[in-house]
Amino acid sequence: MNNIWTLLPIVFVLTGSLLVLLLEVFIQRETKDYLGFVSLMFLVLSGAACVTFWNKGYSYFNGDLFLDKLALFLSLLFIIGTALIILISMKYLSLQNTNYGEYYSLLLFALIGTLIMVSSTDLIIIFLGLEVLSMSSYALAGLKRNDEKSGEAALKYFLLGSFASAFLIYGIAFLYGTSKSTEIFSIIDHFQAVSSQSILVIAGFGLLIIGFGFKIAVVPFHMWTPDVYQGSPTPITAFFSVLPKAAGFAVLLRLFGPYFGQITQSQNIFMVLWFLSVLTMVAGNLLALRQKNIKRLLAYSSIAHAGYLMIAVLAKSHYSLVFYLTVYLFMNIGAFSAVIALSKKDKEYLQLKDYAGIGFRYPWIGATLSIFLLSLAGFPPTGGFLAKFYVFSEAVSQDLVPLVVIGVLASLISVFYYLRVIVYMYMREPSTPFEIDTNNAPLVLVLFICLYGVIQLGIYPGNVLLFIKQAVASLPF
Amino acid sequence: MIPTAYFLVLSAVLFVMGTVGFLVKKDLITQFMCVEVMLNAANLAFIAFAHSASSLNGQIIVFFIITVAAAEAAVGLAIILLVYKQRKTVKSEDISLMKG
Repeated sequence: MNNIWTLLPIVFVLTGSLLVLLLEVFIQRETKDYLGFVSLMFLVLSGAACVTFWNKGYSYFNGDLFLDKLALFLSLLFIIGTALIILISMKYLSLQNTNYGEYYSLLLFALIGTLIMVSSTDLIIIFLGLEVLSMSSYALAGLKRNDEKSGEAALKYFLLGSFASAFLIYGIAFLYGTSKSTEIFSIIDHFQAVSSQSILVIAGFGLLIIGFGFKIAVVPFHMWTPDVYQGSPTPITAFFSVLPKAAGFAVLLRLFGPYFGQITQSQNIFMVLWFLSVLTMVAGNLLALRQKNIKRLLAYSSIAHAGYLMIAVLAKSHYSLVFYLTVYLFMNIGAFSAVIALSKKDKEYLQLKDYAGIGFRYPWIGATLSIFLLSLAGFPPTGGFLAKFYVFSEAVSQDLVPLVVIGVLASLISVFYYLRVIVYMYMREPSTPFEIDTNNAPLVLVLFICLYGVIQLGIYPGNVLLFIKQAVASLPF
Repeated sequence: MIPTAYFLVLSAVLFVMGTVGFLVKKDLITQFMCVEVMLNAANLAFIAFAHSASSLNGQIIVFFIITVAAAEAAVGLAIILLVYKQRKTVKSEDISLMKG
């Protein structure tokens, strides 16, 4: 049962990040991109390990850390995501004078946190994984040391993040107190055995929801999101918008799937999540309408997407949640890559008015960004449409019709602000034309990979969907 | 022997004190200390539950939380120092470049 190979994907990433930290000392400031290639190499090894373990079902530490198919699929997804982020970072870092070697190392540490989170069902191990992710994220947010906004972003992220962690661990303490265990399935079994739920259980789940709500940025726990997204280095913003959120939802899937499925008195918690989902979709989309900064706009859009993902949790539809996360990774990283493409030495163009006329001066950037935004809005034939379609249709089959109606209306609002960026790009005269640094091959590669991902998942999702259905079939409920 | 409920009440009081302190205080260092108080409230709850169930798990978990709190202090104080070097202030109301 215990198989030490379970640790292999994590060990590869860990080796990579320690090696980067070691090599960092010997490499000149101008050539730090080599460290990016070193990290990519270890990511490939780790990804290959995930692929070869697909049918093995390894576990270690007496089952506390295991690689079921869901863990492997999500790990692979996160590794791909991190690889894309590293590719878009290389040029950006030297342009923005942020090329420190620690960058890649911290990014890999953050990845390890997410890998731990998705491959355990013990709340304490999940908490430790979350902390590994969060600590690295706080440092990454503040890595632009000469930029006051970056420092402010790191500070806000750190304060609210550690505040949320305290809620999370206190919630785990309550669940441990009532069920004598921190393992999700023993907790659920315990609640099944006892007929009534004490106030401690409700408080425990409530605190847990607050803690995770901060991490996955659902309204009303979203206050930090726009500021942190705006202040952090842009590739890191792309990282924040995808990986921590996806890992958080993976944990919610493991926790609330059996809880809603087997416990009859879970109605209170269900209603709480229902209201959070509605609030998140409505408030996220409405607040996005008045944003003038593209990073803040995408921040609010990512909040709104957390609302749609919450519908999938409530509908107990695992495959649509994982499919949504897959599409979301490609379309969001793609959109941020296009934003990164509009930069030059020591300057980024982030205001909406800077996008005027981009569609004609830089047709490739304009076209790809438009496709990613249309996918985020949910237009066919992109992946964003199918992802929303699966989530909403699964929710309808679970009799969550009011939720779906609100979701559809909220995504109608979202069309307005996504299209506004496109209107700026193609229908406004540029006020002051500017030159951008176009010599950035890795970023072009990422744009094409993400474009391929979004289109492929939108037109022919069959084979990916097959893997996802296999992955969620490994869940024991 | 002191009943478990006493410890739990104390831990709840500590947790609420930490939460309120975090929300009303304007000094970054104090806010950070409030978070530490909240983590220690969780520690106390774990120990109380472990003692009442006479299981060792809860007591071991406390060591993990102490480690996490130490790591958090290292990263957090570095970030507060960075902000102080940039702005010459540690008041949270002065740190508001980004709004909306």
